[in-house]
Amino acid sequence: MAFNPKTPTRHRSRSDVAKTPLTPSIITGLNNVSIYSPAAKTGGNKSSKYSIADITNPFISRSRPASPVKRATSGTIQVSESLQRQANSGVIRKGGIESKLDVVSRDYVPPPKQEAKRSRSTPAMRDSRDRFITNREVTEVAATLDLVSLNPTSTSPGHTARLVAATGVPLNKRVLAYHEAPPAASDTTLTQQRELARPLYARPGALASSSGVATNRSRKIATQPERVLDAPGMVDDFYLNLLSWSVQNVVAVALSENTYIWRADTGAVVQVGEAPEGTYVSSVDFSNDGAFLGIGVGSGEVELWGVETGQKLRSMSGHQAQIAALSWHGHILSSACGDGSIWHHDVRIARHKVMELLGHNGEVCGLKWRADGELLASGGNDNVVNIWDGRLGDVTESSRGVARWTKRNHTAAVKALAWCPWQPSLLASGGGTNDATVHIWNSTTGGRLHSLKTPAQVTSVQWSPHRKEFLTTHGYPTNAIMVHAYPSLERVAEIRDAHDSRVLFSCVSPAGDMVCTGAGDENLKFWRIWEIPPTKKKKEKQEGRSLTGSGILSLR
Amino acid sequence: MAPTKQSALRQPITLKGSTDLVTEFFKYAVNTILFQRGVYPADDFHMVKKYGQTVLITQDLALENYLEKILKQISTWLLTGAVTQLIVAIISKDSRTPLERWVFDINLVDQPSQGSVGQAQTRTSKPEAEIQAEIRSILKQIVSTVTFLPIIDEPTVFNILVYTHESADVPANEWVDTDPLAIEASKSQQVKLRSFSTDVHRIEAMVSYRYEG
Repeated sequence: MAFNPKTPTRHRSRSDVAKTPLTPSIITGLNNVSIYSPAAKTGGNKSSKYSIADITNPFISRSRPASPVKRATSGTIQVSESLQRQANSGVIRKGGIESKLDVVSRDYVPPPKQEAKRSRSTPAMRDSRDRFITNREVTEVAATLDLVSLNPTSTSPGHTARLVAATGVPLNKRVLAYHEAPPAASDTTLTQQRELARPLYARPGALASSSGVATNRSRKIATQPERVLDAPGMVDDFYLNLLSWSVQNVVAVALSENTYIWRADTGAVVQVGEAPEGTYVSSVDFSNDGAFLGIGVGSGEVELWGVETGQKLRSMSGHQAQIAALSWHGHILSSACGDGSIWHHDVRIARHKVMELLGHNGEVCGLKWRADGELLASGGNDNVVNIWDGRLGDVTESSRGVARWTKRNHTAAVKALAWCPWQPSLLASGGGTNDATVHIWNSTTGGRLHSLKTPAQVTSVQWSPHRKEFLTTHGYPTNAIMVHAYPSLERVAEIRDAHDSRVLFSCVSPAGDMVCTGAGDENLKFWRIWEIPPTKKKKEKQEGRSLTGSGILSLR
Repeated sequence: MAPTKQSALRQPITLKGSTDLVTEFFKYAVNTILFQRGVYPADDFHMVKKYGQTVLITQDLALENYLEKILKQISTWLLTGAVTQLIVAIISKDSRTPLERWVFDINLVDQPSQGSVGQAQTRTSKPEAEIQAEIRSILKQIVSTVTFLPIIDEPTVFNILVYTHESADVPANEWVDTDPLAIEASKSQQVKLRSFSTDVHRIEAMVSYRYEG
């Protein structure tokens, strides 16, 4: 190429150096120039454009277009032409002649929006800034600019204005930044620390809590019992059921061979019964109306005591082993024996044994009638849960009952049984140490609805009368009381180490707000777990203990 | 809702009102950018309701104060019409190379001073809801840029640059002239974003990012 941009001209400057690698663009410019020149002769338009290019650079002498000779000098024109083009396309090379001469008292900056135009129109000229020279060039230019004694006012303002219009680069621009650096982002170690600290303020139940009590933020469940009663002599035996709370708000507790009732309203304690010599009380249960107390003893007798009178009314014998569980339904008192049999006793008649249910190979430790009397649930040491038909009908002494459902899902003894007060078909059963799982069954279909794995052996389960929750008490190793939501099975609360030993027995108050727990540590603790909804109270009074609990289902 | 009635009742937006709007927009835009590009950990941000949607604002006090100071000065400049561009440059912390440049052009909307003699007082002022909708769409667009912007793995810092007129009144000890932190032309890609305008200011947004190859 004859026209080497490197050819020194009097305008040799940084621009030339800058242009060195930009040969292709210059060639393009050259070609463009050559195209223009013949047209300039014919079309006035282009020549005028050409002449404009002349005017922009006062240093460039007006030269006839298309003269190859003049190209040497018009090399500057051509430079300006290409520069102009580039300028029009939004590019000015750093240290371009115009910029050098006219303007930049400050560091020149191609504004970013120019780059946008550039990429669209002239991709070949994209590399306006020298690839090999970094931003340093800017400062160097500034240094040399000073030497070149540039003075913005020395050039014609018209030229400057046209340049501004052409390039779109405002001349009097300052790039400012705040003198302070922005605050540093917290480094990753802090986020790691936050991750570690997260359990401290996380919602309980979302994380495995290591110790202590955990409750929902919204639910406040007292972590301390409201009342503690001393219960010396309470037997630390998993298989017994030594606690019962009647609708008259009376708590019966069996301590070794004695049975006491504690009136919750007055706080008075009365000894009710004493087991026969040589034996101990293995289970207690109040009748549905709270007038009678059934006491099962280790020798196999079932005693009937009157609560008000404090007198033993009858003693029903026949069982061969300890009576681990009792459950009332109306005038029927069912007893669960250590030999695996369940007897129904009609307490009104002399021949009390009206039915026998054989369905367990191990000791039956859990026994609960459904409130409507349709079904009876029993759980045994053989890990089996049986649901029996509750109708007795026309039966004789030798009548045998057949279990409607037999569930073998548990892998440990099932003592925890509870029927749901507001959804009558639901039965919750909990397994012992090996199992530690609560299964919830639909007794109508026999299906297993939910299963909840808990961290410890389940010793008892109680449904909340007013809320869709159930409470479980545990033994090894947590000795905890846990409250779960139904049906989400979300852990609502956990009170660890509720007792010093396994929490073996529990019962819910008739009002539905307090839960009484007993353990081998010889303490009886009363916990306020749930609140009594105020409106429900009135309803309850009117309907008595509503079995269907339609109002309760509308809660939540 | 009769728009004509509304426009008749509503005062045309003042310069100060428009400045406040623009400054507020910058605040939320900067916060959104900082969150989206991961300049600050996501924990630092919490959601507030603004412009009819939830936007994220930093909770970090240091950062908040820093932004407040900058925005206050920008607001002052806006009132005088001195600022032309606002740039949020995201640069790599270690190598100080600019990775992204978020450019907000500020133009003054030309109002024909003698025009519309009949409605001399009320130039049809833009309903605030419309301005909010435009801002909303810009913020949404900024969020959506995550789909094409290159992922930033390294720790970054941001710098806010302001392009002002030479005549601007610059508090000398607070603001300094600096390098524009432009991305090398060969490695930059630009995407023009939406714009919004009040009756006084017109803000255009663009992002240019560093893209190798």
